[in-house]
Amino acid sequence: MSWRQTKDAPFYVGYLNAVPKQLVMFLVVFSVCFAGGLGIAALALSSTQNDPGNGGFQWGNRFENVGVLELRPYPVLRVPADGETPARTYMLAGQGKRGAFSQAEKNQDGPVTLRGVPVNRGDLTMIQVGRVEAVEGNAPDFTPAGPVPLGRWKLTGEICDGKCYAGAMRPGRGLAHKACADLCLTGGIPPVFVSSGPVENRNFFLMADQDGNLIGDEIKPLLALYVELEGDVERLDDLMVFKVDLAKARILK
Amino acid sequence: MSVQYTPVIWNRNKIFYDAVLLIAVALYLYIYIRVAPGYEDVTKPIDGAILRMRAFGSCAFLMLTVILCIGPLARLDRRFLPLLYNRRHFGVMTAGIAAVHANYVLTWYYNFSPTDKYVALLSSNTNYGQVLGFPFETLGIAALLILFVLAATSHDFWLSFLGAPIWKALHMFIYAAYACVVLHVALGALQGAGDPIFTSVVAASVVLVSGLHFATGRMEARRDRGEETAKASLQEKGWLVAGELDEIDDDCAKVVTLSDDERVAIFKYDGKLSAITNACAHQNGPLGEGKVLWGCITCPWHGYQYNLSDGRAPAPFTEKISTYKLKLIGSTILLDPNALPPGTHVDPVEIGEAA
Repeated sequence: MSWRQTKDAPFYVGYLNAVPKQLVMFLVVFSVCFAGGLGIAALALSSTQNDPGNGGFQWGNRFENVGVLELRPYPVLRVPADGETPARTYMLAGQGKRGAFSQAEKNQDGPVTLRGVPVNRGDLTMIQVGRVEAVEGNAPDFTPAGPVPLGRWKLTGEICDGKCYAGAMRPGRGLAHKACADLCLTGGIPPVFVSSGPVENRNFFLMADQDGNLIGDEIKPLLALYVELEGDVERLDDLMVFKVDLAKARILK
Repeated sequence: MSVQYTPVIWNRNKIFYDAVLLIAVALYLYIYIRVAPGYEDVTKPIDGAILRMRAFGSCAFLMLTVILCIGPLARLDRRFLPLLYNRRHFGVMTAGIAAVHANYVLTWYYNFSPTDKYVALLSSNTNYGQVLGFPFETLGIAALLILFVLAATSHDFWLSFLGAPIWKALHMFIYAAYACVVLHVALGALQGAGDPIFTSVVAASVVLVSGLHFATGRMEARRDRGEETAKASLQEKGWLVAGELDEIDDDCAKVVTLSDDERVAIFKYDGKLSAITNACAHQNGPLGEGKVLWGCITCPWHGYQYNLSDGRAPAPFTEKISTYKLKLIGSTILLDPNALPPGTHVDPVEIGEAA
């Protein structure tokens, strides 16, 4: 249609209630297409979202175990073998975006009973700590095993916060989640490296710096990106620990 | 048009416009949040808060895309002009939908932390030197603030208070908001695991908005080139040849370009000719693409009206625009390119006498 106005062309004036007849059908068709188009877009966009995986809180499967609390360097609960079940090491987190350092530091002297809610994705389990009580009376005699060195590894993958990735949020990884992961780590949630290739069939690694200490803010620019990290891998019962040299980290994409 | 400021002067067309908008937005959100998850191929459902965050965010993005397409579409095809009439309601609703998206982000990703969520929003990721990992939330905040300012100043009170040029310039920031939103999405959601549908929707939005503006720009440039003769052909000292009588339909106008920012609309009505500036005092709407209704020039955008002989809005309205002198030699219209002060009376040229 030309920009030039003509006598016969329909002319719409908004505050006049009478819409020119020639425009009524056009506007009705446009309205239907607009609403229908948005509906189709909603269906297409929402139904094709990526699978966030099977991680989640195990509300119906509350955790209660007796074990020993350690800082490796993040709080973990070492649980002794029980019959055919081998010894296990569980990563710990507090409520919300908080770590479990205070509970771990207070109760390092002896065995404890720890109650909480497991957050689980495959073989990655993070316990959201509820209550920790020192075991009174006949405490089981249990000395956790030392770490088993598995050599030096160069791994590619993503650094996540262990709680959200385990399923506290679905999805709990990726750049859209980066700020949340940042807050979680600042609050004391253990960082977890999700490797694209396994070491002894495990893809999840609790992270520490190359000396086995807590990682500082230098991890933040690497969060939620596809990175290559190099360091020593240790096995602590069933938990892998990746002691990385972040100075050698490379962002791949 | 109104002589007093009220929040909204409702009429049937505005109610219909808003109803269609509300139905479309409600349909989008309902399908996104309630219907489509039933067709997702997922092991466990996406968190409700994240699903709603995505629903409101993508809805605001699509609404902003449509808002930006309305302008060029209305230039390319006048049948889209009714969409322009109440576009400010569209904008206000978009700002509201975007605010809900932001609220979900704030109360989900930034909540449950010892750090205050507003502090966390600005401090949790400060890697501004990175492209990948850039704090794309900041771009979303910038876009939201612009949308809020535009929504808050969308009322005619602000148009009158700031004046049309400043108001127009302020509302051009909608393009900055769109750019921020596109970058917010490109550096955030699109960097996740591959989602070809969402990527395609964002790409289509950018191509559509850019393409329509480019096409409109070309049309305007062609139109200006077509008027070059008016600028160059000085037939009589101080007068320009504006065209021939038969080029103008009754109650319609011909638009003559004098310079990049000055166009004149020459109206033919009741056997007479009058010339006024092409820019409406309200929002710079193209008066020359309007018509004469009830003896007044009527703007095609919002229906603002002006008397033909003096460019003044009929009482009790107070808007006024520049007028121009005309001459008729035979059937050729001559225009004095010097604009007269807004509201200056100029006797219309009688076609019968001069021709």
